[in-house]
Amino acid sequence: MGQMSMRKRDRLEVIYDILKIIRDRHNSVRPTPLLRIANLSSQSFAEYFGELASKGFVKEITDKKGRKYITLTDKGFRYLEKYAYIASFIDEFELGA
Amino acid sequence: MAFPHFFDPWLFVAEFAFSIIAVLFCFLIFFRTKESYELTKHRGIRYFRNAFLFFGLSYVMRFLFNLVLLSGIAFDVILPRRIFWPIFMLPLAYFSTIGICYLVFSLIWKNAGSRALFWAGNITALALLGISFITRSHYTLLLSQSVLIIFAVILSGFMHTRRKKLSRTRILYFLVALLWLLNLWVLGPRRKVFSFGLQLLFELISIGVFWVIYAKVIRWAR
Repeated sequence: MGQMSMRKRDRLEVIYDILKIIRDRHNSVRPTPLLRIANLSSQSFAEYFGELASKGFVKEITDKKGRKYITLTDKGFRYLEKYAYIASFIDEFELGA
Repeated sequence: MAFPHFFDPWLFVAEFAFSIIAVLFCFLIFFRTKESYELTKHRGIRYFRNAFLFFGLSYVMRFLFNLVLLSGIAFDVILPRRIFWPIFMLPLAYFSTIGICYLVFSLIWKNAGSRALFWAGNITALALLGISFITRSHYTLLLSQSVLIIFAVILSGFMHTRRKKLSRTRILYFLVALLWLLNLWVLGPRRKVFSFGLQLLFELISIGVFWVIYAKVIRWAR
């Protein structure tokens, strides 16, 4: 998967991109490649990751060798499934301000 | 049962049916957007949902207020104004004003913080509630809300200068607020300000507007 577009993305779009990257990588990706592919700064990534984890969209798992991976939860999959509808809904009612 | 000649049972039936449908649509819009909000915590969606929650509550209070008035006419049970005014009219003033505010906030939320908008909405609603309480007149509430809606239209237009064309959504929002005012007229002591036919027409248009919004909601927020 290539790098994300350089166009300024809104918050929902960034969340969608992060979750999509995880899903497309067999629902298991290490934090560093995720940060790179999502095209975010370390600080932004940390903020988004904190938000996604606190909302229960992603969780961090550690394998036997102590390596950390990020995976989607059911809620994360649900977000991906609903994203197109929600984005259209926001657009339809001009809620994106 | 024979009704007094000045009690119109058709008016009561129309009011009852209209209120049920209006409240149902408002609450359906609120509940059908629950998941979209919970997944995203998007402020625009939050204000949109709150607007319809409060409009729903406003129509509940409007119906109860109307019920008391119509029951008074039908059964000659006149509740003192000092009792039923605060019970029904003050919540109605608060809910409807904050509903209008939230509808505007859903369009302009990026220009202000959550806390600022919370206080702006509540202070406006409490101010209009205070005005209607002091004057004991729903016409002052009507007048104040009319001014609020004119201000809201100007504000939302000013903050959306990049959108040159007036969108259908904005027209729908404007109609929701305008029809609320027209539906509020019938609560006054001079109830016959509109003929029954005209009142029914406003109620049917209101239902049409809510239906269009609900249809758009279920199209995208499934």
